[in-house]
Amino acid sequence: MKKSNDHGKYKYGMVIDIDKCTGCGTCMVACAAENNVAVRADQSDKERTITWMRLYKISNGKEFPHTEVSYFPRPCMHCDHHPPCVSVCVATATKLDFNTGIVSQIYTRCIGCRYCQAACPYGARYFNWWDVFPQDKGMDRYLTPEVSPRMRGVVEKCTFCHQRLMGAKTLAYAEDRQEIEEGEYVTACTEACPAQAITFGDLNNPEHEVSKLIKHPFTFRLLERIGTDPKVYYHSSRDWIRKLGDNFLPGEYTPVVNKTWAEEEWSTKPGRDEF
Amino acid sequence: MKLTRRNFIAAVIGGVAGIQATPLPWKITDDIAIWTQNWPWVPVPSTGEFSDVSSVCNLCPGGCGIAVKKVDERAIKIEGRTDYPVNPGGVCPVGMGGLQLLYDESLRFTGPMKRVGLRGAGQFTEISWGEAFDMVAGRISGLRKKGTPEAIAAVDGNPEGTTVSVLIKRLMRAMGSPNYVRPPSINDTYRMGNLLMQGTLTPMAYDLENSDYVLSFGAGLLEGWGAPGRVMNAWGMWHDGNPAKKKTRIVQVESRASNTASKADMWVAPRPGTDGALALGIAHVIIKSGQYDSRFVSDHSSGFEDGRSLDGVNHIGFKTLVLEKYSPEQVAKITGVSPKTIVSLAKGFVSAKTPVAVYGKGKDSLNGSLYEFMAVQSLNALKGSINRSGGVLLPDPIPLSNLPLLEVDAVASKGLKTPRLDQAGTMRYPFSDSLINNFTEVIKKSSKSPVDTLLVFSANPFFTLPDGGGFKRALEKIPFIVSFSPYRDETANMAELILPDSTYLEKVDDIVWPTGLQYPLYGLSKPVVEPLYNTKNSGDTVIELSRAIDESVGSAFPWENFEEVLQVRAKGLFDAGGGLVSYDPDTPAWQRQTAGNGPKPEYESFDEMWEGIQSGGMWYRPVSSPRSWKGLFNTPSGKFEFSSKLIAQAIENYSNKISKKAALKNMGIAVTDDEACMAHYEAPKTGSDSSVYPLRMLPYEMINLASGWIPSPPFLYKTIFENQLLKDKSFAAINPKTAARYNLKEGALVAVKSPAGEVQVRINLSEGAMPGIVYLPLGFGHTAYDEFLKDKGVNPNNIVQAGQDPISGYPVWWDTPVKIVRV
Repeated sequence: MKKSNDHGKYKYGMVIDIDKCTGCGTCMVACAAENNVAVRADQSDKERTITWMRLYKISNGKEFPHTEVSYFPRPCMHCDHHPPCVSVCVATATKLDFNTGIVSQIYTRCIGCRYCQAACPYGARYFNWWDVFPQDKGMDRYLTPEVSPRMRGVVEKCTFCHQRLMGAKTLAYAEDRQEIEEGEYVTACTEACPAQAITFGDLNNPEHEVSKLIKHPFTFRLLERIGTDPKVYYHSSRDWIRKLGDNFLPGEYTPVVNKTWAEEEWSTKPGRDEF
Repeated sequence: MKLTRRNFIAAVIGGVAGIQATPLPWKITDDIAIWTQNWPWVPVPSTGEFSDVSSVCNLCPGGCGIAVKKVDERAIKIEGRTDYPVNPGGVCPVGMGGLQLLYDESLRFTGPMKRVGLRGAGQFTEISWGEAFDMVAGRISGLRKKGTPEAIAAVDGNPEGTTVSVLIKRLMRAMGSPNYVRPPSINDTYRMGNLLMQGTLTPMAYDLENSDYVLSFGAGLLEGWGAPGRVMNAWGMWHDGNPAKKKTRIVQVESRASNTASKADMWVAPRPGTDGALALGIAHVIIKSGQYDSRFVSDHSSGFEDGRSLDGVNHIGFKTLVLEKYSPEQVAKITGVSPKTIVSLAKGFVSAKTPVAVYGKGKDSLNGSLYEFMAVQSLNALKGSINRSGGVLLPDPIPLSNLPLLEVDAVASKGLKTPRLDQAGTMRYPFSDSLINNFTEVIKKSSKSPVDTLLVFSANPFFTLPDGGGFKRALEKIPFIVSFSPYRDETANMAELILPDSTYLEKVDDIVWPTGLQYPLYGLSKPVVEPLYNTKNSGDTVIELSRAIDESVGSAFPWENFEEVLQVRAKGLFDAGGGLVSYDPDTPAWQRQTAGNGPKPEYESFDEMWEGIQSGGMWYRPVSSPRSWKGLFNTPSGKFEFSSKLIAQAIENYSNKISKKAALKNMGIAVTDDEACMAHYEAPKTGSDSSVYPLRMLPYEMINLASGWIPSPPFLYKTIFENQLLKDKSFAAINPKTAARYNLKEGALVAVKSPAGEVQVRINLSEGAMPGIVYLPLGFGHTAYDEFLKDKGVNPNNIVQAGQDPISGYPVWWDTPVKIVRV
């Protein structure tokens, strides 16, 4: 099938290495700080708390002491093929930019119907039930002018820190360059990750690290089989984690065994179980 | 026109067609969207000139480098610095959210204040700095005039060795009180252990990055141990490239499937508090198989073999002790870890090239057990991993200058002769610096508090001490409390007077040797923004306060301001020669191998060096290659001591006063005196009835929640899972099997009761929890601060029934007997 984004020049995407991810949550905090995300007094109601980047805790479900926990950090997947949110938006408030692959959100167009929220299979969209945050605390003093604070009644989501792309482009033009280099534009979560678990780059550029990483047999995507073609990839050497990437029926999942990649032998469980 | 059927249909069709053609409805929808979004209260952040300020994070003793983005005078984001040696680019979530601690006004004291409401109610009225100084100084000089300066006490949470803590100690001495106490930290355990086994006073230096086998006994490597930016960076590095060819293996010893335990290559789960026994079991296998580093053991250690002392008495050595009492089968009974696993751990440890055994208890903000540390350090010695790349390094202490000697006046010298309230450093606790739990007990039990005036610096002992709420009750008895906290924390709310510090982003301050770092580093944080409110750097406050007290105390502080003191101390860095004040990410500090005095300095004069430190925020000496053995160990034997002569001496000294049996009992030791000099395992003495309290409660720490004296930035509550905190209830993680015994389902509301008290929590069924243990998260349950943090969950410290660690006397906070009762 022809992909809708084949003719775009750039296709930004990320690979999150679950082996490196420590589950610390710095990406979530960095994202909220970068993008003026609202903070509320009670943030334990996860359906109403806004987290463009959110950690999902997963477990291998085995009994003590064979239990393992891990995390899926989940930004917007920036689906590349008919993003479900885009096709349902009645106000054209969200669209897939064919030139960058970024799924945008235009707050002033959003009428707050929350159809997109219902359509998103990843739960990556959030509705502003309240205004930015409690008044009179002086917390508006840390808001960045690069991202407009949202108002009550609109939906918001991860934008791959679009403002950073604009910034990188502006800098490149100022230096009389047409192209931005790999690493000049990365998202706030990529930059913040203290374990360097996130790699960000142009999936159309074979030289970029992300393009190499996505070919790896340990790399997978969430709910890959619904055909939304996400541009966020995950990478793990642990089989049980890869298996949780989709709703496999018994027998549907085939473990990765001894595949060659980049002239190196890989085995499926070099980590924990055989150690 | 008459309304006929025909006309009606024409009008309807015409209308529908017209609406399709006109843009009006679409325009109206669009406009409504815009109109309903133009609320005057939606902030429009002002723009201006963008800039970056490099500084150092001072929220924990880790001291990561931070770059703060600014727009004009506003700080808008904190990011990790790539040009800082500790953390090449990353910081922890607490550091990332730091701006909320600066700008959330309801968390902070906006100026000096006097309490007007009841204690703990948090009602204050603003006063001037002059009034505040007059009130404290009046109280203190009154006590000095009465000749009872020892009734002044200070709780200081600033990390050991920082300039502000040096000044606070100096103030206490000048005033004449020995009662300077600190909240416990893992660094206390490291300090005592290193003193006893190595005779060194240098902070613990684990060369993690160069290690190929990290055997962590309880250190929460991914829970915030050490400098989180450093450890997590190492974690990423360890997992770079092909996992089948991974160079470094990580083994986590911990009773719960924490992030570190789950993400490690191997997880071993002994019963809480038995880590030391497990280490000795591993030592047994290593010694029995003869695979220990015989060169290190014979040339550079003492106390391994049995021996005869000068008085002709035979003493058993470490080898005999371990071979007799810690076989895998014996250890399996204590720890619950199978003999097979113990053997495989030993095999992994000896077959690695540069293994290191790391000791810790979660983050570094609570103490560990001295004998456990000694057991783990014995493993490093057996493998020869001491003074070797990838193991435990023994650099020189950081060469900061001492402040000029302090001459105290008659009142002070009399006061200083009074015994410390906490008995630290006495024959009973010969190696301890400060025992805040004892301090609490003395005050709690007294009819009239021996402390009249308590000064609290950078600490919130009301909340952070694992003492079953003991410090709170002690505070209630103390007549006059002064807090220097920038935040409206629980302890500050009990105070009569607040002399608020500026936050770490508004002041100059130093970070001395981040916990666990393998090379000396002196960090300097600087004001990123001008102080927002009428606050003052506590360093300056101490100097000004000393002058307000009286001339004699004031003369101990002949400096203009805090910054001058920083420079006086930093003079030593310059005099010591070799040091760097800038960092190139291409040559990580742990990769550089420099001999002797360190690298060629990057500066020629002190001023040049100081300028470099101020702009870069660092002075450091990269990792040195293994050092000459000569004079390396400053123990009585001049060697690494498996069997500590200092402990032997201490027991003997004490036995000369009272009987040996009584001495050992008072020191909390249940074994013979030979064994007491070495790492060994003793079951904690809880003295509680296990039929009444069948379970154990273990507090646990998370990297995404601040559990120390710093409040959590509200952003962090986004990262907390709904099975850790839901509305106002936090969760106890327990194993489904344990829960089944009490017929408890996920989310059930229960009371966890210990002899010290009870807390109400919900149940989280967690396979990763050891059966029989109730795990409660630390960091929830604040009764102070604002609506973001207040009344969310419970603080497990409130029900901790802490025993005393043998010899050190530090609290054993990991062994509270509890029961669960359904609410």
